[in-house]
Formats: sequence, structure tokens, C-alpha cells
Amino acid sequence: MVENTKDFIQNEENIIIKGNVAAAYAAKSARVQVISAYPITPQTTVVEKLSEFVDNGLMPGTQYIKVESEHSVLASIIGASQAGTRTFTATSGQGLFYMHEMVHWATGTRLPIVMAIASRGPAPPWNIWADFTDVLSQRDTGWMTAFASSHQEIYDEILMSYKVCEDPEILLPKFVAYGGFILSHTSKPVIVEDQDKVDSYLPPLPDEKGWPHIWVDPKRPMMFGNLIMPSGFYQEFRLKIHDAHMNAKAKIIEATKEFSKIFGRNYGNGLVQEYKMSDSDVGVIIYGDLALQMEDAVDQVRDEGYKVGMVKLRHFRPFPTEDIINISKKVSLLGVVDRATAFGSLTGGPVSCEVKSALHDVEGSAVILPIINGLGGREVTLEQQKEQLRTLVILNETGEAPEHIIHGTYWDGLLEVK
Amino acid sequence: MSESEIIEVTMHGRGGQTAITASQLLAELAYEKGFKDTIAIPIIGAERRGAPIQAFTKISKNKPIKTYDSVVNPHYIIVFDRSLLEIPRIQETIHDGVTILANSKEAFNTQKFGKNIKLFIVDATGICIENQFMHSSGPILNIPMLGAFGKITGYYDLKIMEKVIRKEFGERRLEKNMSVAKSAYELVKEA
Repeated sequence: MVENTKDFIQNEENIIIKGNVAAAYAAKSARVQVISAYPITPQTTVVEKLSEFVDNGLMPGTQYIKVESEHSVLASIIGASQAGTRTFTATSGQGLFYMHEMVHWATGTRLPIVMAIASRGPAPPWNIWADFTDVLSQRDTGWMTAFASSHQEIYDEILMSYKVCEDPEILLPKFVAYGGFILSHTSKPVIVEDQDKVDSYLPPLPDEKGWPHIWVDPKRPMMFGNLIMPSGFYQEFRLKIHDAHMNAKAKIIEATKEFSKIFGRNYGNGLVQEYKMSDSDVGVIIYGDLALQMEDAVDQVRDEGYKVGMVKLRHFRPFPTEDIINISKKVSLLGVVDRATAFGSLTGGPVSCEVKSALHDVEGSAVILPIINGLGGREVTLEQQKEQLRTLVILNETGEAPEHIIHGTYWDGLLEVK
Repeated sequence: MSESEIIEVTMHGRGGQTAITASQLLAELAYEKGFKDTIAIPIIGAERRGAPIQAFTKISKNKPIKTYDSVVNPHYIIVFDRSLLEIPRIQETIHDGVTILANSKEAFNTQKFGKNIKLFIVDATGICIENQFMHSSGPILNIPMLGAFGKITGYYDLKIMEKVIRKEFGERRLEKNMSVAKSAYELVKEA
């Protein structure tokens, strides 16, 4: 029996919890109906907490399925979602890679599944620490992808995600990613919202008729995901997925605005959140936990007299191309900080590639310096981030490039190899 | 402590000595007392019973805490096991002017670690044994160490501890938790 009373809260309360527990509370607040689980570090405590909730009767009516692998996690979640339920699961690194086949399947079926990703570095060498290569390497699966930079943002973003995913014009699955251990296992105050307020924000749970496009009716048997000939509508279905992504931008902006109105917390326009960019000469685009810490770095380097700013990238898919173009015109130099790799390209990490591609034809846009740091959970300190900003200032003012620019990317924090 | 300062605490313990839980409880205690923001940061590696463990807590009266990085120059170091102070890389975490709270029966020389170090001691192991406050592999040191820490810093008192312990561990274990907290609160002394 679980004796701590924190689990039993019903009304709005501010509690100190791990990032993973914040994800579990979000699933509880969203009244998810089916959870499928397989443990993997550093995600495990998300589904552990949810099993406690279910076991203690705090999620009445929620089905908790234990399976033998991540592939089956998503397969069972797809089945549950297809039958017309709100679903949730979580995974990390290798677990996500093992799911990969089903990740594509969820998009093709247009299911509004939300999955928390406590991101970790791909093996080998075996690694369990923060690195977003796991989620970013799913780029072309058609899942929407958001990053959370704080414990509260994990909770909030999962709620906002259900709102957008279940919109009849969208119907897409979504990853909500945050750095393994850095957010998943540290504890901070988090506001768990009043259930009535959350209910009023989210769309109603699907009824027995299921989602608008797909449902299971034993009286009317149907085949799902069947073979389609090259002359069939395959190409048109693919275009519709892309259309949904493009339409999701406006929906995310709307959902973020409404969230802010009801709950009082702001996340920019939902796609990006600027910090002290209006008068800046140089800036960085950054995501995840490092984005929150970078705010302190910006403040402190500003105290030294340099006009620096930053943009927190909240969504990787859909990619906020229009916002990035606007931002790139405000400054002359932009660093793009990736805690992830995209091997074999001169354009830096995965987010850098996107930014460079977005600005390709844009006149008067900033010069981009791709930065890669913190791979496999290597610590990125506040001092190191301040130095990154100073490096950008020097590059902008004098043209003097930092050491360790390798294949066009600034690899910061490399160990010396003797 | 200045109103805008972020207080940083490093915990040194061995696997099983409950230092990681202590870092989380300290965050809760400070928050319950009215600090605006806190974060507990465990350093997770290949933990096992007996291996050196580090955890950090940052607490702030007014300023939001935005950093996730390790504490390198703490205001306080809480030492759950004195033998850890013989390990060079742990000695390196001790800086001039720091305040150390150690689980120790007797005082020891801190001059080799740096200048102006303040040392407080409390026999937390003894308190746990006396109260049979044990888990499967040893004394549960976090509650007495936090009781002593509350006393030497004034950041929270026994009433706050009672509230947090009740919230975290329920009613059944409250009495025993509070009696070890109270003993440590009373017995901690400057060495």
C-alpha cells in the first residue's frame, strides 16, 4: 500500500515531484483510459507511478496493460486508440527504436496517441543519459514532437498535446520529450491542476463511437490498414498527414493561448518562446532543459554588457518555419544548440539542419553557427552556456571563430583525446 | 543569507544511506517553509549499496531556479559517512568557508580540506540504532541528518518536518521519524 498522501490530491496543488512523476500526473489529469507499459531507464518511473495510481483506485476505469516489449506497448496502444480511447505511454532511447515500426503505424492510422519520451543517448556505447537523438531520429514518422524544458512544462505540454492531437482536423500522434535524468529524476515544484479545470480545457473523452475517422463496431466488421495498390490513395493519404502537420501549427498556437488563459502559464506562441530577443545582436535557438538554464546565461551575459537573447524551440514537428524566419531577421548571428546528432551533414545537429533549411532562401537572415553539446548526458554547465554566448558575441563582432569548429559545427565541451 | 541568493547543498553518502531521498526531502522542507523555488538533483550512475553517492539541493528564497547543473561550490556539505572524506575526489568538493554537517560521534580536523571551514557533528548512526530506525541494510540516516540541518541553518523547524514527513510517508511512520528528527535537532553541535 502506498501511504504518501500526495497521490490522493484532487484539487489544484503545488507539489515537489520528479519530471517523470509530472508526466504521470498529466496522464492522470487527462483521464487517459488505456496505458500500456514496458519499463526502460530513464522513463520507468513514469509508468511505475501510473501503476500506483491505477492500483490505488485513483484512475477509475483506466486499463493498465503490461506487455513484454516496447514494440507491443505501441501495438497495444494503437489497438486501444483505434477502438476509441484516450491513450498514453512513455519510453526512452532503445525502447523507442524498438517501437519504430509501430511509430509509423500510429501516424498512418491517424491516432491521437501521446507518448512521453525521457530522452537518452543511442547505444553503443551503452548510455542512459540525456540526448535527444532518440526522439529527433523519428523525424519522418509523422509524429508531432514537442520539448519540455521544465518539470511544469512536462505536465502542461502533455495536456496541451491531447488538445491538439484529438482535434478532428489534426488526428496525429505526438511525442513530448525531455532530458533523461536532468528532468526525469530531479525534483521541483509542479502545480497539478484542479481536475474540473483540466476537464474544461480538454476535449471530452471519445464516446463509444470512437474517433471521427476510425472506430470498432462488432456489428460492422472492417479491415484496418489493409494493402493498398500503387494506383490507390496511398500518396493522397501521405499528403493528408503532411497537411495535418501544417494545420497543427495554428492549432498549437490556439491551444497554447487557451491554456495560458485558463491556467496562467505562458509558453510563447506554443511553437517558439523568445527570451530577450527584441534588442539582441546575437541569439541562440535551443530546446529542452538547456533552454531553461540558458535564460540564466542570457541574463548574466547581458549584465556583462552584451545584447544576447534566446529562442526556446518548443516544437520540432510541426517545424515553426515562419517563426524561425522572423527571428532570423532580428539578429545577425544565431547559434543553434543541439543535444543530438545528425551524422553525415555539414549542417550540424538535427535542429540546426532544420533551421538552415528554413532559412535557405531568406534574404537578410542571420548567419547560423551550429553548436553540438551535452551528448549522452555530458553536463553542460551555466558557465559553459555563458561562454557559448560570449563566443557568439566575439564571432559576430570580430569574425573570430571559436576553436573546435569541426565540419562546420562548434563541438563544445569535447574532452581532450591524448 | 541574501534574499536573492540561491543556497546550494551537497550531500555525500553511500548507496543505501538514503542521501538521495534526503536531497528531495530537503527541497520539500524548504518549499514548505516558504522558499520560492527548489530543485533536488541526484547524480545517477551505477548505484549500489556502499558506493559513494552524491546528490544536490538548491533552494531559493525569491529567485526562480533555472539551472540543472551540479553544485560545485556549495554553502553546505552534508556528510552521511565520515569514511568518504578520505576519498580524494570527495575532498576536492570541499572549499574554503563551507559549512560541513557530518554524521560523526566526535570532532575531526578540517584544516586539511581548506580554510575557515565550519563543522557541525551529530551522531545520526547512534540515534538510529537507539531508536531502531533501520532498513534492511542499515540506519535510515536522512531524517536525523535533516533534523540536524534544520537546527544549524534555521531554514525549517520540527513542525515543518512533521508536515512533510506526514505528507511523504503517511501517519504510521510519523512518530518514529519525528523522534529521531527531534533527537538530532537537539544533539547536533558545533565542533
